[in-house]
Amino acid sequence: MAKNLIEKAIDWGRRKSPWIIHFNAGACNGCDIEVVDALTPRYDVERFGILQQGTPRHADVLVCTGAVTLQTKDRLKQIYEQMPEPKFVIAVGTCACTGGVFDGCYCVNGGIDSVIPVDVYLPGCAARPEAIIDAVNKLLASLEEQQKSEENTDE
Amino acid sequence: MLMALFHILIFPGLLFLGVYGLIMAYLDRKIYARLQNRQGPPWFQPLADFLKLLGKETIVPELANKKAFPFLPVLALAAVTTAYLYIPLWSMSSLYPFEGDLIVILYLLTLPTLCFFLGGWYSGSVYAVLGSVRVITQLFSYEVPLFMALLTPALLANTWSLSGITQYYAAHPLYILINIPAFIVAVIACQGKLERVPFDLPEAETELAGGTFVEYGGRLYAIFKMAIDCELVVVASLIAAVFLPFYTGNPWADFGLYIVKTIVILFIFALFRTIMARIRIEQMVAFCWKYLVPLALIQLIVNLLLKGVLA
Repeated sequence: MAKNLIEKAIDWGRRKSPWIIHFNAGACNGCDIEVVDALTPRYDVERFGILQQGTPRHADVLVCTGAVTLQTKDRLKQIYEQMPEPKFVIAVGTCACTGGVFDGCYCVNGGIDSVIPVDVYLPGCAARPEAIIDAVNKLLASLEEQQKSEENTDE
Repeated sequence: MLMALFHILIFPGLLFLGVYGLIMAYLDRKIYARLQNRQGPPWFQPLADFLKLLGKETIVPELANKKAFPFLPVLALAAVTTAYLYIPLWSMSSLYPFEGDLIVILYLLTLPTLCFFLGGWYSGSVYAVLGSVRVITQLFSYEVPLFMALLTPALLANTWSLSGITQYYAAHPLYILINIPAFIVAVIACQGKLERVPFDLPEAETELAGGTFVEYGGRLYAIFKMAIDCELVVVASLIAAVFLPFYTGNPWADFGLYIVKTIVILFIFALFRTIMARIRIEQMVAFCWKYLVPLALIQLIVNLLLKGVLA
């Protein structure tokens, strides 16, 4: 069954308006500074429709930084569960991808994907703002491909 | 009957107001971005946001009031749309004028604020409740100067009907100059009504994580956002009708003039939003009662005296 016009319009809206929420799962603050940097007027992410939201209920993309510590593990899961479907996760920084230098530490659970599913991994210590914007764009490109393949397999 | 339905649902009702609200939201964001020396969003951004929110999962929290929580956004949008029907757009008279419609419009514009308050109150989140308390505190401080500022021109025109006021000032264009203090008070008080910087305390993203709308997501938030965008249009139209009554007599030209007037007022709003920072709640209350109310009172006395002189 092909998608009808309303579903296509909603797919288009999803690609054009990624609202993000930023969560620090236990980073050294390096990546957080870079995320905040990416949101400044200098990089102007509003060009791509990216807006920062204060609450997980409004957000589509969870931008996570840092290795998950035992303290933040449950909070991260809660925030992920509070986001309405469809939702995506970007792991920003090497620690968020794998645990980085903190991997194996007594208080560290591992990378973000040890707790919640991750869509885009963005390595770097710290990840640059340009790379963060590129990660969101890659996520949207993969979303477009997925939407197209859904349409083709349905037919 | 059919004509009334057309007026309510299509033009100038829900559909036109919604589309114009999206355009105004875009212009607001674009002007804001250009004033910050950046590129800003593409033209379809508010539409994309709206469609995306419509397609998202709608969550009603366990602690929220199951009946009131989904109902309040719709009520807010309905109240704003109703208020729009009583504002003159392409002529000096609105579609359904009657004596006292200015007061009805003002009360219909208070309804969305009450919906924000109740929406936050019933959503069962501490952040939302704090935002709600701020909504009501703010309401008590900007509502008095706003009402006084919009009702003093009516006093001079000797009518409570918005169409009557527009016609009076269109006939005596120089009297507009008398109302300049009221215009300033109205524009500043409207920043509180629309919950924009510097009076965006109820939403205060950095403190309250979204304030009253913390628990609203998906379709319900889309309707709330639409109500806010439409409220911006209605408030701008109301100020244009009361303080900028310039008409040519040709409906098409007047409609173009109406668009120009609302965009000029939007530009003033966007300028306020760019150059100011958020102030604290007690500073907001003190500012409204210490400066806006006396200014509106002076305007009231001047208009009362002038009414005696001009009569």
